[in-house]
Amino acid sequence: MNFFLQIIVSGLTLGAMYSLSAVGLSLVWGSFNMLNMAHGAIMTLGAYFVIIWFDSMGMTLWLAAPFALICAAIAGVILYFISAHWMLTKRAFDTNIMIATIGISIALQTGLLKAFGGEPYAQPLSLRSYSFMVNDVPVSYQRLVIWATALILMVGVGIFLSRTNFGRAVRATAQNRDAAQLMGVRVRRVYVAVLALASVLAAVSGIMLSSMKELMPLMGGEPLLKAFIVIILAGLGNVTGALYAAILVGLLEAAVQVLVGAQYGFPAILIFVILVLIWKPAGLFGRRTVARQ
Amino acid sequence: MAENLLTVEGLFAGYDGQPVLRDLTFDVPKGALIALIGPNGHGKTTLMRCIAGLLKPTTGKVEFSGKKVTGLPAEEMVSRGVVLIPQGDMLFPDMSVVDNLRMGAFLPAARAKFSENVEEIYGMLPRLKERSSQMARTLSGGERRMLAIGRGLLSGGEILLLDEPSLGLAPIVIDQIYEIIENLRKQGRTILLVEESPNRIIDLADHIHLLDTGSIVWDGTGQELQAQPQILETYLGG
Amino acid sequence: MSRRDLIILVVLIAFAIAFPYMGVPRYLLTSALVMFCFATVVTQWNLVFGVAGIFSLGQLAIFAIGAYTTAVMGRYLDMNVWYTFPIAGLAGVGLSLLVGLATLRMKGVYVALLTIAIAQMMFVLIQTDTACSELNRIINPQTCISFTGGSQGLGDFGSFGWREVLGGRDAVRGDYYTMLGLLVVGVLVSFFIINSRIGLGFKALRDNPELAASRGISQFKYQLIVFGVSAFLTAVAGSFYAAKFKAVGPGILGFDLLLLLIAMLVVGGLGRAWGPLLGALVITIFREGVDNIMTEGLQWRDVIFGGIVAAVMIFMPEGLTGTLDRLWNYILIKLGFAKARSSTVTAVAQDKKAND
Repeated sequence: MNFFLQIIVSGLTLGAMYSLSAVGLSLVWGSFNMLNMAHGAIMTLGAYFVIIWFDSMGMTLWLAAPFALICAAIAGVILYFISAHWMLTKRAFDTNIMIATIGISIALQTGLLKAFGGEPYAQPLSLRSYSFMVNDVPVSYQRLVIWATALILMVGVGIFLSRTNFGRAVRATAQNRDAAQLMGVRVRRVYVAVLALASVLAAVSGIMLSSMKELMPLMGGEPLLKAFIVIILAGLGNVTGALYAAILVGLLEAAVQVLVGAQYGFPAILIFVILVLIWKPAGLFGRRTVARQ
Repeated sequence: MAENLLTVEGLFAGYDGQPVLRDLTFDVPKGALIALIGPNGHGKTTLMRCIAGLLKPTTGKVEFSGKKVTGLPAEEMVSRGVVLIPQGDMLFPDMSVVDNLRMGAFLPAARAKFSENVEEIYGMLPRLKERSSQMARTLSGGERRMLAIGRGLLSGGEILLLDEPSLGLAPIVIDQIYEIIENLRKQGRTILLVEESPNRIIDLADHIHLLDTGSIVWDGTGQELQAQPQILETYLGG
Repeated sequence: MSRRDLIILVVLIAFAIAFPYMGVPRYLLTSALVMFCFATVVTQWNLVFGVAGIFSLGQLAIFAIGAYTTAVMGRYLDMNVWYTFPIAGLAGVGLSLLVGLATLRMKGVYVALLTIAIAQMMFVLIQTDTACSELNRIINPQTCISFTGGSQGLGDFGSFGWREVLGGRDAVRGDYYTMLGLLVVGVLVSFFIINSRIGLGFKALRDNPELAASRGISQFKYQLIVFGVSAFLTAVAGSFYAAKFKAVGPGILGFDLLLLLIAMLVVGGLGRAWGPLLGALVITIFREGVDNIMTEGLQWRDVIFGGIVAAVMIFMPEGLTGTLDRLWNYILIKLGFAKARSSTVTAVAQDKKAND
């Protein structure tokens, strides 16, 4: 029974963190076929911005966090204008931008390594040391904060996409770019906005991640791969599916970690996704075909 | 005749350096229904995409309301009042019918009047009201076409470009669609329409142009076309 | 292969053969032979990615399979490393065919993601492999080393053996010529494939998919062939790498090396025969330069490389060779030696050639 509870507690936390970054990644792909390999670096960047504003600039945490998110949004906008903006009309956009963002990502991560050194930092924005017990399983308040934040943000993104005019334009662009333009949507603005939004979500996810473990320049690599795994499972571009798939992956990883051993969690989900890709390339909930180009 | 709302002059366009439209010139007067007829692959859709701003012409001029609009992007064209109801409808498949209609009224001017205009559309196309919360992808072919037309009308443009409104529909549904087009014409809308066959529009259009390999080879009224069956024979194979 | 290409190749090989006798310091020979090894991998990757259009990022997984095959066979079976090379190559082909069958009917980015996942899985599995291996206990009962050596890697499996033949001072020359031989084979294979029916078929498929399909060019079959051939040489390059450095670790699956190889690939120019060689040369010279100029170059180097990769993809996706080609054609046209041709005409011509 305790095993079960442990899996649920830890799986939901992982799922909450993955969902934020995966939803952003999926939105960006869905809107303009950009597989953003720098997503993980932005995750890390967001987490470091908290340190920068808090430690170096002496802000209170309640100010540092929103400032970090604003910086992440700006990073997303800059990313758009240095990469996608120039490449949108050229051939092989989807593969070229993937390589370009691999380059940007490594440059950014090594830049962080250079600036902050390889030693881990403790994320100041954390309540990890305070916890309560449920059936002898300790649950830290930090987990509650993560669940609540993820829930609020996901509901917020959902409302934005389904109820607001600009959110509808984002969905319309993802479903048919030409038609959206015919409706008067300035699609490039949509791209910038989506990348900024995705970067904010990534930053929140990065802050959460670092609050549960620690802050390191290269910490974005694994969560990026996990976010990719999630959106592949959901079917590329399926935003709602990404949410469910994130929770599924979180629970699966937690189950393997608790039942088999901590080091097998990641290989297990990698094998799972490879099998899914071979068996159902359009994803678990995929309706669309893989041949999108 | 009334003043020209749309003027196309010496238009060339194509893909990858291969010309599809060659030296196209015609006018659309205000309040008129002008039709272009031509076989598949002779540039009808290319022309529509060019005027609507989805494709940049190689050379030539497009004027709308007396202003040069050549090569402006689609989102700019729609804000000036050129509305394309594209071939194949190009709906937003994973959005509900009403959300598709809302997208039609995306621009601020149209959005302000959305709630009253949508009632008008529902009055004209009652099927859309019944299906309003359904996803667009679940609609039948005829309903999709109606949604595409309704969505286009909500943009509140001054000219409607209709790209093969009868394409792929059953004859009885085509009747319904053309009834709608006739009503729009009676309301005084300016319409530019392309079709593969002249059957439905020969009595409806004010002026008909025949398109062959990207150029206009004949133009006149429907009556004139009926009087010269050899023309249809030559260009459209009867 | 055009006469121009042949002449350039012969001159380059002659220079490379003479290079060790030009009084260059030994560390330069080592840099050069490492470059030969990576250039081999990049020529093969270019065949997969640039020519066959398979967006695989798993080239390093195949490289690693080669390296680890040599290490494991040399260590546990006490095999001479020379005998392990063909086995390593076949292991690479095996892996690549498995991956190919699973992925080649997918579109570009899916292939990329799946191959990254496979490479990453190998990395994680090796890194977390910590259980003491029974095989190792037979060889060396005192130590606890896992089958793959885990994060520390494997050593003690032999080398090319030039030290015994040529003596300690000239051993590096032996290594150098061995790698050069590998690269020459790699380059010849690459030229051969690019100019063969297969290469021209791919070109036709890229330029005009409908026409090519109607001529009966089967993308899947050709892709599988290229995937297999390039995997063999990539895996052999991996096992040469292991034999040269007498050690392998999971680091060869890391992002540093991936970035270096991508930089060589894209800076040179995707899909062009000379691209990988030019790319490997430019990036190696650049790397040596950065390392010599900056005392703390190691970290900035990746920042610069990352920036270069991004800038090339964004502003000149055809790479150096593509840009030079274009410049050359432009000059020829300006001087009246050649006529401007539209791309469609060329594609049809090439398609005809491919089917003759």
